[in-house]
Amino acid sequence: MTETLANLALGFSVALSPQVLIYCVIGCFIGTLVGMLPGLGPLAGISLLLPVSFGLSPTVALVMLAGIYYGAMYGGSTTSILMRLPGEAASVMTCIDGHAMARQGRAGAALAIAAIGSFVAGTLSLVGLMLLAPPLASLALKFGPPEQCALLVLGLVVLAAMGGGSVLKSLAMTVLGLWLGTIGIDQMSGFFRFQFGLVELGDGIGLVPVAVGLFGIAEILASAGKPQLERPRTPAFRELWPSRREFADSAGAIGRGTVLGFLIGIIPGSAHIVASFASYGIEKRVSKTPERFGQGAIAGVAGPESANNAAACGALVPMLALGVPSGAIPAVMIAALVVHGVAPGPTLIQDQPALFWGFVAAMYVGNLVLLAMNLPLVGVFVQLLRIPYAYLYPAILAFCVLGVYAASQSAVDLWIMAGAGAVGYGLRKAGFETAPVVLGLVLSPMLENAWRQSLAMSDGSYAVFVQRPIAAGFMLAAAVMLAWGMRRR
Amino acid sequence: MIRFAFAAILAALAVPALAQGAFPDRPIAMIVPFPPGGVADQTARPVAAAMEKALKQPVVLANRQGAGGAVGMAATAAARPDGYTIMTALSSISVIPEADKLFERKPAYTMDQFAPLALISSDPTVLVVNAERPWKSVAELVADAKARPGQISFSSSGVYGTLHMATEMFAHAAQVKFKHVPFNGAGPAMTALLGGHVDILASGPGVVLPQIKAGKVRALAGWGAKRLDVMPELPTFKELGFDIEFYIWAGVFAPAATPAPILETLRRAIAQGVKDPDFVAAMEKAGTPVAYLDAPEFKKFWDTDAARLAKALRAIGKVEGG
Repeated sequence: MTETLANLALGFSVALSPQVLIYCVIGCFIGTLVGMLPGLGPLAGISLLLPVSFGLSPTVALVMLAGIYYGAMYGGSTTSILMRLPGEAASVMTCIDGHAMARQGRAGAALAIAAIGSFVAGTLSLVGLMLLAPPLASLALKFGPPEQCALLVLGLVVLAAMGGGSVLKSLAMTVLGLWLGTIGIDQMSGFFRFQFGLVELGDGIGLVPVAVGLFGIAEILASAGKPQLERPRTPAFRELWPSRREFADSAGAIGRGTVLGFLIGIIPGSAHIVASFASYGIEKRVSKTPERFGQGAIAGVAGPESANNAAACGALVPMLALGVPSGAIPAVMIAALVVHGVAPGPTLIQDQPALFWGFVAAMYVGNLVLLAMNLPLVGVFVQLLRIPYAYLYPAILAFCVLGVYAASQSAVDLWIMAGAGAVGYGLRKAGFETAPVVLGLVLSPMLENAWRQSLAMSDGSYAVFVQRPIAAGFMLAAAVMLAWGMRRR
Repeated sequence: MIRFAFAAILAALAVPALAQGAFPDRPIAMIVPFPPGGVADQTARPVAAAMEKALKQPVVLANRQGAGGAVGMAATAAARPDGYTIMTALSSISVIPEADKLFERKPAYTMDQFAPLALISSDPTVLVVNAERPWKSVAELVADAKARPGQISFSSSGVYGTLHMATEMFAHAAQVKFKHVPFNGAGPAMTALLGGHVDILASGPGVVLPQIKAGKVRALAGWGAKRLDVMPELPTFKELGFDIEFYIWAGVFAPAATPAPILETLRRAIAQGVKDPDFVAAMEKAGTPVAYLDAPEFKKFWDTDAARLAKALRAIGKVEGG
């Protein structure tokens, strides 16, 4: 323990040096901007700025990239709450209750809780990262394809079984998402599937156009269809801050979201997205007023936002402790380290104590910077809602088109977005929830790969999912959850 | 993407100036058919920076990933052959057309659509096993694999990816059968080996070296014609009596119809660039030592390598459903 504290002191001496601090602030700021644009997620932000980091020292580069990563996670919540536009998949759950709160004039509270939840989750996860990185990392390696597959099944079932309406309807939406995810080149054999001769579909249906269409565009269509446009009540300044009751409702959600997100984040295989969806399901389950979910329950914002940030932090554990990436973003960060001549590997923490502890300390500082930057901005962002819909909606539409096109430079993606908007509007009218479609779409390739890898390992025997204890546990939990969800109807 | 758009805008603005002045009089776009952070990207960035100095024009990177690199390679093949679009690609450039043939698909591109400019690096793959597995030598591994065919498993970066091809080449030469568990990329393949979910893996020296140093994996042999400088005690397969070679290499290409004088200018820029101390330092830091070959030698190297890969691919045959 004393050793850890001494190391942390070393870390802070690195992190609080003016140069590191400046790049930390720059990274957080760019990240927040990137997160707000619907097309650009943290991965795009980090990738674009990777070359800029080449001229910096390894510690400074890593701190800046981590700032972008974190900042994008924060930024994604802003557009989700204000405009129901998920900047990335992890923000989808925030859209539901966050935007409902905005319509009731509680946008300020939702934004503040999102920022505070993210801050608490980020800080607590860092303590976890610091104390537990080496032992947890070796545990994470026990998660092979069968365990990942079982975890993904559990994640999908949790959302479907905990969702608002009928479990069957939610499962149907999950399956729709999973099917959409199989479009494109089969990653294992290189065959084209369901692409109807369109070369552009070879790489599959992008998440961004679908999420923006199902949530942003469908929301605009739904609002425009109402005879009298209701305007969200713009709050007085003193109403921006969450009420005591809202804080009380959020506290437990933030705690549970943090633990859940951190644990899911450590597992290699990019299943982090499950964290925010599963957190929403759990909050709804433990809530005394589950009927308020979807109508602006603050726990539905606090839980997923915290889980999202904790997962982002947990994902760094295998990278720092073992030198193996647990997802696309840590992979880019490893690449950045390699360029700087730092070989990420199992001995990184011993070989480069100043780098590791400086990084940990800089993340603490970064969390603080983000909180300080985001809370004052809440008031500014809420002003956006004062703009009449006649002006705001065309602007949002333009924003969607621009963001989606910028992300891929493909006109096909714009058609997919428009189609998803129309379908999303129809599904809403018919009482289907569309969040499971997004989760299914994101998880489909991972689920399929893990499934096929598991069966390759076991020579085609399905017993592999029940013979391994961790996988069996997840599968059992999924079965119980499904049975419970069906019985509840 | 943004940078690509930027380059395109710069290029468009410069169009009126076309046909006057010597090549290059505007920025050059270098396509990388893989995402940022991979081997191709890590090689292309220092190359682009070194070429910039020699050409006195910006060389702007554009990551056009997708379909295992086929998207970016097809885009280069179809680009206007004026020297303003070049590409840094990996050995998989020779595998994709062969796989298309195997599956009787319309090819995304053919290899004669490219003019090779220079080979930048080539690293032989290294065979490693999880340190908790019993095998201490290739002979022990082969004996065990013969005793229980299809039981010993290996991970790879994907079907027909470099790591898959290298392992199958070895399996074919040793007349054994391993169980294939494909992943997406060399990183996840290593994670699976470390977790003990698979038994063996072939990967580049940069990936395996830190894990060897930490004692998590054990190296058995290398695929090079001669031993690696960084692992002088590691035998090559050739020394062990297996006549196989496999390299993960990166080279620079232009569309085939690019006029000869322009190709000449680009070649000279690379030749000058690879001597740049900044370039050498950047490559060494990234763990990929420079193995420069000028266009004629690179062409020979490429032809030999492509023939080797085509043979290995036909030996593997169609992989149905993984």
